[in-house]
Amino acid sequence: MGAMLKTILLAGLSLALAIGGGAGSVWLALEKAPPFGAVRAGPWVAFPSAGSREADPYSRARFARQGGIPLGRSEGIAFTAGSDSQGRALRRDCTYRIEGPMPAARFWTLHAADAAGRVLPPFGRRRAALHSRMVLRFSDDGFLIVVSPHPAPANWLAVTGEGGMRLVLTLYDTPVASGARLGELTLPQIARTGCDG
Amino acid sequence: MARFVHALALGLVGAGIVHLSILFLLPAHSVRDVWTRLSQVGEPYATLRLDAAGQDGLPAPADPFIQAAACRFDLAEGMLHLEAEGTVPFWSISIYDDNGLNVFSITDGAAADGRLDAVVLAPAQARRLHSRYAAQTDRSVLLQANVGRGIALVRVFVPDETWQGVATAFLESLRCAPLPLE
Repeated sequence: MGAMLKTILLAGLSLALAIGGGAGSVWLALEKAPPFGAVRAGPWVAFPSAGSREADPYSRARFARQGGIPLGRSEGIAFTAGSDSQGRALRRDCTYRIEGPMPAARFWTLHAADAAGRVLPPFGRRRAALHSRMVLRFSDDGFLIVVSPHPAPANWLAVTGEGGMRLVLTLYDTPVASGARLGELTLPQIARTGCDG
Repeated sequence: MARFVHALALGLVGAGIVHLSILFLLPAHSVRDVWTRLSQVGEPYATLRLDAAGQDGLPAPADPFIQAAACRFDLAEGMLHLEAEGTVPFWSISIYDDNGLNVFSITDGAAADGRLDAVVLAPAQARRLHSRYAAQTDRSVLLQANVGRGIALVRVFVPDETWQGVATAFLESLRCAPLPLE
């Protein structure tokens, strides 16, 4: 009798370990571990193969849980920044200057989003978004974008609310997306100039 | 003690098998991918707007300057003819498979005159296109995609409100039609 009970207990241990350990480790890998295949340029991160057939099994499973309509390689590539160039988390009550070289692209857009990826609410009629064809430029074709809750001259990306945010820079029709020179990619700096309160 | 170690080892091997099974079965059983969501709302070949308003739980482009429309297709029923009326500052087409993975994309740079007129076909269908639909599709861009069932999604750049009317008309005129094989 004792031997049988022991067998049942051991079988139960094996099963619990198999199911619990298997399911738990997948959950950990998908929810807690950083995703593979990241392309970084300063604070900007992109996952060019996410949502494509070239993605690794973990990226695919992650994508299946989130859904979405990722850009194809010919269409473009979306970079997300959760922190400034000094590594401090982006905050909606701070002012940031975004400037620097932009890779070749048909056009690009920049918007501020919340943690769930939704565009931040507009400031009156101003959306928390800009694109390359509305940006005012210096005579050398450079530009300065000010991300701030307070009005700024020229290129003001208006931010409202409190808490954290992310900046999303999307390049359309760009050689960057096809992966030609991803290693030596440079994107604009995000410099914090001040915060409220 | 030996039996305990045996049970432990068995459990660990089992955990590995369960881990891999879940990992590889997840994408096929997803309910959040664009194919599953579109299937719940529209018929095949029907054009659906994917608005930021997020109606019907359809996925929408994250970019506020981009608007999109999509339709489902099945290449087993014939090649897919995609057409839209009008000119917009930028359009692009993505083909997603029935797991929601992006398999192919082009931009308007591939079209000679900026018009959206494209035929999506499986590699084996290329010969038929020329023999049967030459007149109808001689100005179309040909997109060879290795898919069976899938989704064609058209994105449009809307730089400001003055373009909204043009963009809406463009997306609403998007027509997805099968070109039957027989």
